[in-house]
Amino acid sequence: MNRVPNPLIDELAEDLVPVRPISIARGVALVTLAAIATVVAVELFHGLWRGAFSGQASGFFFIANGMLGLLGAASALAVLRMASPRVGNGHEGARWSAAMLGLLPVSTLLVLGFDGLASELTHDVEGFHCFLAGSGFSLLTAGALVLWLRSGAPVSIGSASLFTGIASGAIGSFAYGMACPIDTMGHLGIWHVAPVALCALVGKLVIPRLVRW
Amino acid sequence: MIADEASMAQMMTASQNGDRGIYRALLAEIQLWLEQFFRKRVPPAHLDDLVQEVMIAVHAKRATWDPSRPFYPWLAAIARYRWVDHLRKVYRSAEDELGDHDAPEDSKEEAVMARMSLDRLFVHLPDRQVEAIKLVKIEGHSIAEASARTGQSESLVKVNIHRGLKRLSALVEKAE
Repeated sequence: MNRVPNPLIDELAEDLVPVRPISIARGVALVTLAAIATVVAVELFHGLWRGAFSGQASGFFFIANGMLGLLGAASALAVLRMASPRVGNGHEGARWSAAMLGLLPVSTLLVLGFDGLASELTHDVEGFHCFLAGSGFSLLTAGALVLWLRSGAPVSIGSASLFTGIASGAIGSFAYGMACPIDTMGHLGIWHVAPVALCALVGKLVIPRLVRW
Repeated sequence: MIADEASMAQMMTASQNGDRGIYRALLAEIQLWLEQFFRKRVPPAHLDDLVQEVMIAVHAKRATWDPSRPFYPWLAAIARYRWVDHLRKVYRSAEDELGDHDAPEDSKEEAVMARMSLDRLFVHLPDRQVEAIKLVKIEGHSIAEASARTGQSESLVKVNIHRGLKRLSALVEKAE
């Protein structure tokens, strides 16, 4: 190819101003702040369950909420990385974490059976409230991640949107989980996982139009 | 000869700091690299537009390159993204025949280029989708012509293009 003068190059060079390169550490700080703010909001609106830290919670409480928290962290990290594109970017950690969280509802189904599952869905009066609260508390993290993506250059728009939904749903449900004293497998495996599924769906449908560039 | 990875990374770092002279040199190298990258994957009449579009995107998104990571995979990801977008938007006219306008490959960068090339993306698509996209979106044949050539019905050609482009957009960052 011949090197021909390109007026666009002069134009872009004239427009050049220093920029601060993207830093994953800043993104991590942003998401951490959003997650902390979410937990503080849960404390203010609902009050964290003190019994969880005085030996009243079952092991399943910590397993379920721990999985939600880890899925939130892994997915959020994947989204932060997607803002800086690269051929060779992989997001396997987030995918495997999402698959692991899927074990909760599957285990619930295996333990309770279809009848038990139906009973949980229809008789757990607090369940739907937890589902709504977990979904609602996802908004802060979702906002932070969308802002980050908009300032970046995501090229895997579909994945970035899906994982933004998963991360925000998981962190929202994790935060609300700290306030919920119902620690049975049926309740946590269904109603505290459902916000992740809802947010993933909403993220996949809504976020692409917010971050496309 | 296009600058190597280390030189490009150095130039990009200086450009992020606002050095206009080096930025001009960097953009000239990027232009050459993009022209090679897109060769045979867009008709000559669209090449300049696509290259310029990517250069503008590089300029607008220059802060998204992390100096701790390699430069070319970042540039290739943006180029692939814009190329898929371009395929979605552009139906080529019949007179835009693909010419033999290849530049010789730069052997030093050949392996890296191959790993990030546009052809690499097609490996992950079923043959029928690749065939439909190449015939209609790249070579500029009509749906009816593509249907006659491939033996697929016209609606199937359209479906394969739609599904293929959707799949391509999900593969932009894939390296293997």
